[in-house]
Amino acid sequence: MGKEYLGEFEELILTLVAVLQEDAYGAAIAEELETRVKRDANLSAIHVTLYRLEDKGFIKSSFGGSTNERGGRRKRIYAITNAGMAMLKAMKESRMELWKLVPQLKIVG
Amino acid sequence: METESIPFAIKLLRKFCPSQLLEEIEGDLLQQFQRDIRLVDERKAKQRLLWNAIRYCRPGILLRNKIKSNINTVDMLTNYLKVALRVMGRSKSYSFINLFSLALGITSFALLFIWIQQELSYDQFHADKDRLFKVWNRDIANGKINCWDVTPRVLAPTLHEEFAGVETAVSYAAWGEQHLFVEGQKRILKTSGAYADSSFLTMFSFPLIKGDARTAFKDPKSIAITETFARELFGDEEAMGKSVTIGEGEASMPVTITAVLKDLPTNTEFKFEYILPYSLVEMVTGKKVRWGLNSVYTYVKLREGVNADEFNELVKGVVKKHYKDTKTREVFLFPLTKMRLYSRFENGVQSGGRIEIIRLLGILGLALLVIACINFINLSTARAQRRSKEVAIRKVTGAFRHSLIAQFLCESMLLAFGAGLLSLGAVYLALPYFSTLVNEKLVLNFYNINFWLGGVSLLLLVGLLAGSYPAFYTSAFQPVKILKGFFTASSKSVLRTALVVFQFGIAITLMVSVFVVQRQIMYIQNRDKGYDKENLIYQNFTGTLGKNFQSYKNELLQRGIATSVTKTSNPITERWSNTDGIMWRGKDAQDKTLFERFYADQHLATTAGLTILRGRDMDLEKYSTDSTAVLLNEAAAKAMGFSDPIGEKIQDNGVDWHVIGIVKDFIFTSPFHPVEPTILFGCNQSWAFSVAHIKLNGNRPIRENLQAMEALSKKYNPDFPFEYEFVDDAYARKFASVETTRTITLLASFLTILIAGLGLLGLSTFMIEVRVKEIGIRKVMGGSAISITQMLTWASVKPILIALAIFSPLSWYLTNWWLSTYPFHISVGLFTIPVAGLTVIIMAIVITGTQTVRAAQANPVESLRNE
Repeated sequence: MGKEYLGEFEELILTLVAVLQEDAYGAAIAEELETRVKRDANLSAIHVTLYRLEDKGFIKSSFGGSTNERGGRRKRIYAITNAGMAMLKAMKESRMELWKLVPQLKIVG
Repeated sequence: METESIPFAIKLLRKFCPSQLLEEIEGDLLQQFQRDIRLVDERKAKQRLLWNAIRYCRPGILLRNKIKSNINTVDMLTNYLKVALRVMGRSKSYSFINLFSLALGITSFALLFIWIQQELSYDQFHADKDRLFKVWNRDIANGKINCWDVTPRVLAPTLHEEFAGVETAVSYAAWGEQHLFVEGQKRILKTSGAYADSSFLTMFSFPLIKGDARTAFKDPKSIAITETFARELFGDEEAMGKSVTIGEGEASMPVTITAVLKDLPTNTEFKFEYILPYSLVEMVTGKKVRWGLNSVYTYVKLREGVNADEFNELVKGVVKKHYKDTKTREVFLFPLTKMRLYSRFENGVQSGGRIEIIRLLGILGLALLVIACINFINLSTARAQRRSKEVAIRKVTGAFRHSLIAQFLCESMLLAFGAGLLSLGAVYLALPYFSTLVNEKLVLNFYNINFWLGGVSLLLLVGLLAGSYPAFYTSAFQPVKILKGFFTASSKSVLRTALVVFQFGIAITLMVSVFVVQRQIMYIQNRDKGYDKENLIYQNFTGTLGKNFQSYKNELLQRGIATSVTKTSNPITERWSNTDGIMWRGKDAQDKTLFERFYADQHLATTAGLTILRGRDMDLEKYSTDSTAVLLNEAAAKAMGFSDPIGEKIQDNGVDWHVIGIVKDFIFTSPFHPVEPTILFGCNQSWAFSVAHIKLNGNRPIRENLQAMEALSKKYNPDFPFEYEFVDDAYARKFASVETTRTITLLASFLTILIAGLGLLGLSTFMIEVRVKEIGIRKVMGGSAISITQMLTWASVKPILIALAIFSPLSWYLTNWWLSTYPFHISVGLFTIPVAGLTVIIMAIVITGTQTVRAAQANPVESLRNE
């Protein structure tokens, strides 16, 4: 890992941005978190994390369309950058290296 | 979609959320809200929305983007400060002059400001201060309307009974009567008490530590005391509810402490350590119901909504209604909150008062501050040339003018805050001395947020005042001219001269004031007092001293301690009582001349050294009828219109007296006023006597006399401490306030001259730097050191001469006004202003002298060697 470090929640959000692609914006990420990861996260926490990731250069953002549901406000669509992708990969790989070291045959119980 | 009505949660969000994030966040919140409506009910969804919105109030959102744009500013500020410190370090003497004079200016302003604030806060702390009034008398005497605030005892109860607009009315008297408090072994003699009606404590907001203000004086035999006095009486024990005895022997009286007051604040006209209720006084001495006897202050609290002006119309006739002897006397209400500063009346009309002094002090404080700022302005504009290259480079590399202005303001702010820090220390150290000087208890309120806010805004103001002109001036330089070398900042400037003229104008005005005040004090001190203070002392009759007076006196005389002893009604330095009711043969019915009463048993002329002009002194041994004899002073004889009053009969309050002589006028009340008509009464009215005047034997050392007196005092007055007062000390106290004026003007003028002189020193040093080549050439061409010194000195003296011309009328007007407040005064004088001006000029020459002389003596080779 480089000098940058990602927290667990940051990593989760970054992954979701990568997953949702064209549809990665605050409310959608919150919904996705709830349905897929079964995590109830406050919207403000998600936004703060998104801004932090953007500051670190792992994601970039641009305004997207608006819907009636949003009272006419535009979405801010986030997209993962190359640096973000590299970061995710690096983290996954280091995680896998460690995972390999865990004795796999241990029987739970 | 309900886009029109924006939910409260969103409105709340808009209050704190950075605007560039708002659209996205709002959208996301609303989207989630819509989803929540589908999943749960609407009420719950709204709650969630609100909660979600509130959760945005976190640093990750609040700090967003604001700081990023500030980073550059922070860098620039650091750079400004760094440059400012370097500039200051490079020319230490200029920085010192700037810093020191600013610190002096701020310190004096702060001290005066603290004082003024104290004065303005007098009696402003009472809960219903707008409804509190003091009752004044108004009467016509000899064609002039007099106003005074001492009123009859019956006035307060009468007002309360007869006027519906009055909520409460109290009599209050604190005339310094002596009370002996006996508590166990302790015997404490106090003169700091007051008598007041029972509702006094509820009317005014003096906080109680113990007791109930409403019921404290229900029983006549009660007393309210301050915490300090309580500690004096009972130490750390609880005072509330205890009993203390006042007086001793037959006249003693136990009273119960029913209230303990917090010590009185310093900013109140009331001064007492204990209050006795009037019900107690009247139990002992009976009710005083005479309308002609003015003996107490009367305070009134009006009901809410009662208009004071309308009430004054109603109330003014109350005296005439009850007091048959007067057709002209009226009363009126004057606001308590204005008593301190606005209570001077001229011919019945309110006209100024202490506020005039306070305003002058305010102007003085501001003037000192401005004078200090002027130093900064002058020195920085004069030396701006040295900064011109820096300005040019900054401009060429893209600095806007406003950022240059910011830079120079930054420097003046830095200086102002540095000076402010110094002043804080100086004020802290100087305040105790200043408090004694102005005779007020002044404190720095470190825990008050206003103190710090006020201090910081003062410093900002000073920084702005001093720095704005130099900042605009310097930042306007044109880089092309500077960098091509065409630019020379002119060493002469009309504005700079004008500012120096202003500085020295103030200095000269103050100097004139110092001279005038000093001469006025000398004039009054040298005024013929009409009596001899030498070796003259007085003693108040405490305990049994009055009863044993005759034997005490005999022994004093026999043992050669004293040469003459007289018992009197009051010290010769204090007025005691006066009346316009004296009757004499041929008196005009309209004549309302006020006569001072002074009772003396005999030999007063010998004791006090009065000069008998006609007739003789009272002498009971030779003339037994002298118990009803009176002596008139010259003024009294003149007022009665007698050329030879001896043998005339006069009447005071129904008692007959006969005139046996005239004494030369002597200063009885104020040395600043003409001598009032005064009548010296004989010993017929025995109740009046409470003071012994003793002329000590001048052939013996004073210390020996006093020791012998102390022994005698123990013998004749065993229970009371030996106390005495020298008449010349008491007389000197009459000068306390005018001496404060003298010290303040002296200090202020010293400070002004110091600050202005420092500025002048800085300027002349700079001028010499600029003209160093010119001086060198002059010397090479044969100019003498003296002529060059003359030339340089003239440059500094010229603005002072202009100041003298411009500010002479002002100083004349000001000092003339001050003098006119004293009935006995000198004129400003033809020579005062020139002499004061000359003094200032000489000081200025001395201050700048070392620099000019050194410049004139310098070897021209040094200045001309390099080009």
